[in-house]
Amino acid sequence: MADPTAQGGIPLPAALLRRRCSPEELPFQLSSELADAPAMIGQDRAAEAVTFALRMRHKGYNVFALGPAGAGRHSLVEDLLKQRAATESVSSDWCYVNNFADPQRPHRLDLPAGQGAGLAAAMKRLIEELRVALPAAFERDEYRARREVLDQQMKVRSEEGFGGLQQRADAKGIALIRTPMGLALAPKRDGKVMNPEDFEALPAEERQRFEHDLQEAQTELEAVMRQVPQWEREHREALRALARDTTGFAVASMMGELRGSYADLPDVIEYLDAVERDIKENVEDFLPQTPHPAESGGPPMNAAAQAAMEDMRFRRYQVNVIVDNGGKKGAPVIYEDNPTYQNLIGRVEHLARFGALITDFNLIQAGALHRANGGYLILDAERLLVGGYGWPALKRALQSGEVRIESIEQALSLATTVSLQPQPIPLDVKVVLVGSPMLYYLLAANDEDFAELFKIAADFDDRVARTGEATLLYARVIATIVRREHLRAFDRDAVGRVIERAARLAGDADRLSTSLRAIVELLQEADQLAADAGKETVGAAEVQAALDAQVRRADRIYRRMQEEITRRTIRIETDGEAVGQINGLSVISLGALSFGNPTRITAQVRMGRGEVVDIEREVQLGGPLHSKGVLILTGFLGGRFGTGRPLSLHASLVFEQSYGGVDGDSASAAELFALLSALSEVPIRQSFAVTGSVDQLGVIQAIGGVNEKIEGFFDVCRQAGLTGRQGCIIPASNVKHLMLRADVVEAVEQGKFRVIPMETIDQGFELLTGVPTKTTDDKIAARLDEFAARAAALLRAQTGASA
Amino acid sequence: MTGAVARIVVLLDAASENHAAIGTAARLAGRWAAHLHGVFVEDDDLIRLAHLPFARQVTLGAGVEALTLREAEHQLRVFAARAREELAAAAQRHGVAWSFEIVRDGSSDGLSAAPDDFLVACTATRPIGGHFRVECRWWWNAAASGPSARLLAHREGDPYGAVAALIHDRDAAAERLVAAALRLAEANDAALAVICPPALAQQVGFKTWLDQQLAGHPVAVDIELLRERAPLHRHIAELRCRLVAIHAEAEEASPDRLRELIATVACDVLVVR
Repeated sequence: MADPTAQGGIPLPAALLRRRCSPEELPFQLSSELADAPAMIGQDRAAEAVTFALRMRHKGYNVFALGPAGAGRHSLVEDLLKQRAATESVSSDWCYVNNFADPQRPHRLDLPAGQGAGLAAAMKRLIEELRVALPAAFERDEYRARREVLDQQMKVRSEEGFGGLQQRADAKGIALIRTPMGLALAPKRDGKVMNPEDFEALPAEERQRFEHDLQEAQTELEAVMRQVPQWEREHREALRALARDTTGFAVASMMGELRGSYADLPDVIEYLDAVERDIKENVEDFLPQTPHPAESGGPPMNAAAQAAMEDMRFRRYQVNVIVDNGGKKGAPVIYEDNPTYQNLIGRVEHLARFGALITDFNLIQAGALHRANGGYLILDAERLLVGGYGWPALKRALQSGEVRIESIEQALSLATTVSLQPQPIPLDVKVVLVGSPMLYYLLAANDEDFAELFKIAADFDDRVARTGEATLLYARVIATIVRREHLRAFDRDAVGRVIERAARLAGDADRLSTSLRAIVELLQEADQLAADAGKETVGAAEVQAALDAQVRRADRIYRRMQEEITRRTIRIETDGEAVGQINGLSVISLGALSFGNPTRITAQVRMGRGEVVDIEREVQLGGPLHSKGVLILTGFLGGRFGTGRPLSLHASLVFEQSYGGVDGDSASAAELFALLSALSEVPIRQSFAVTGSVDQLGVIQAIGGVNEKIEGFFDVCRQAGLTGRQGCIIPASNVKHLMLRADVVEAVEQGKFRVIPMETIDQGFELLTGVPTKTTDDKIAARLDEFAARAAALLRAQTGASA
Repeated sequence: MTGAVARIVVLLDAASENHAAIGTAARLAGRWAAHLHGVFVEDDDLIRLAHLPFARQVTLGAGVEALTLREAEHQLRVFAARAREELAAAAQRHGVAWSFEIVRDGSSDGLSAAPDDFLVACTATRPIGGHFRVECRWWWNAAASGPSARLLAHREGDPYGAVAALIHDRDAAAERLVAAALRLAEANDAALAVICPPALAQQVGFKTWLDQQLAGHPVAVDIELLRERAPLHRHIAELRCRLVAIHAEAEEASPDRLRELIATVACDVLVVR
């Protein structure tokens, strides 16, 4: 709050240059005496918005928390979400299991929290037990006997078919021969197949009989051969049925026990049914399979390869618990700090096996959406938008209400290879995006889905009013951070100094910055300095030293510019008078440091056509706001001096020795002063620097960075030698923003420097020149009249010549 | 088969299960550092049949088709080449030298072997319809003829089963049989089961005699008693043998009994002369 005694045109008292934290505002000795405070202060609007969104269970009530970086968006959102989540029930476990009908499309299972791991363990136990129990069952005499019966039946069938044929053929003197490819019949004599010569030598009748018998036998052989596939099929089926029966008996009791544990979960029961069917159909996987090393035909398989094969055989019975909420309390609150496509929606990984990449449902990995399902997900908006395809994936999941795991290639229809298509998982999640206001406004303007999916904006303020209550609350926040960061206790002066720093960060004596990142850094660095000094508590000296060190680390360029001013490479006058020349002030931000930069502004006038030329704009170094300022001051000139006469002047304005871009209108008052000086030929005191914007009526308006600007000129003056005549003229409306450095305040107290508020152009020009406005205006009017008369004469001369 | 075995001869043909015979022969050749020799027998019955104008063969894949001489000889060449490759691969796996020859006709003359040879032969063809096998015409020749021990690699038995030796007496033939069985048990890292009638096992000095036969051989030995009226193949099945050794002069080695034994047991049979 600005001091009511501040008056335009009168130097400000030191008390108004920096609003200190008084001891009365901080009723404690050490920060350790203060109770914990909420993570953030002054964010009631944002907190209310988040809380409202959390109550809304309807679709699309997701949150975008917008605010400046370091404003505590993450902390506040996380705190609110955790408070809410703690009152809610724990989310389900999610598992993927094999789809025995179509392994490419694994099934999902939804189990109460903690039961996923239990099911996985139970399935593992089941398979381990079956790997013992089933071979044992197939080793039992009962199975062997039944199998022998089936084999014998097949053998009898075969013997009856082929053996009977062989016997009948043998009785007729025909041999049954095994050829490389099949069977053949041939006339024989003495146990050997006849030669063609012997056969030809047979009596015709006998030959005919042989041929007839051979034809008959061959027909019979064909008939038997045709039945073989059917016999084999039936035999295989009988063996399978036997295996199923044997397996079923062994499996039934174990599966029954397992089913009992999940009787209230129909999906699990259905899965267990499928498992049982598959085990019965593939019981050979459970039986010993090691071929005889010498008979296998290939090199013996090493133990690792054998284990890999074993693993492959039983992987399909595993349960892949992708989300395990066992042992957790409340709904999940997940922060995904790298929200890429795969980290959000999960992925299907691959294994290298025998030179090929393979995958199955066991290699499905959960994404952040799975882990946050049933709860809350916090994402950094900028990372989400930058990280490949994360944003479209998130939108699609929120719109469809399910998480579908597929590769980016699949999602973009770029892949044609067959891969897994896991069953989508229903999604019930509240997403909170944390980002900058700019990002929020861009999304709101350009993304049609955004408004539908993120209905709630939680707008974080970057400052809070510096009331007594807020000051004390801020002190508690500092105390909380000190405890959380395990720092030494801060004494009252140190806390006060930190609060003053918060006001300076806000750029306002009556406000406190809510950006806690810079405050936390300051606390940590001050603590380290106290530690270096062997102190048990942190005092104001350590806080100030930490601040000075921060500036020192970042001010190389600033010091270089100051040095060049001192060496007069850059010309800034801090004493004397000059016509059409004034010290303007700008702010340069480089990295962590913003500093004031005095600039010499000059103006030249001559007779002309009523133009004020902004040289910065002419050479395209001036931004639009600067140009606007110049046009406004042109308007002021026209309003004050052009109503009764033509403005037959040409004026030019320039930032001397400025080689970069210039923007903003904070120098428009200084430019007008230079122009007025040039017109009136009244010199300006160079011991002043001026900042402020002006309107067309000559009223001075507030500008930004007033503290940095004053300090920048102060440093130049100090280098040149403080005379007591030097000072800054600032808009009166900026007085409330003053939180100047202690050395500036001290110089003012000692009468070595001045900060003077101004409310109007006239007031400012009188301060700068010591000449009353009436006198100046008269001089300007006379000058303009002179320009007008000369212009009229010139016009007449030109007109007469042409006539 | 009391001395060193210089050569393992394995009999092969186009219709038999050569794989098992080659595997068995190569493994033994490796253990005994013997030469592996393959003899591929071209069935002269098949050739004669192919000469007949009405020769046909019936196959599961193609039904009835003409069997010409050219076709038969082509098939024999293909199967011989395949057997040769398989033999070479098995010899390489076991690190033994090998050779291969093709003979026509499986008469005993064609299968003659040196006294130190150890003969391995299949006893039946590959099955048709899963079970039906046609007896190899020359397995009996192989079993019954020649001076050396003959292993009839009938089919794959229990790869980890014991080697059984069937003896009826304590004579020299029994000693040769036990010695041969011992060598095979050692070669296969298997136990030895001595199957004998109860009367023999109860004879005074039988245990001592058996210990003398086993002296110097680190092989686990069990004595199994022949039960009356229980067929031999039942004993062998219960013992889960990989091989059973019988003497060529034993009653069980008569043609009919040997045929019956081979048809009923699921293991190799060693006939020791």
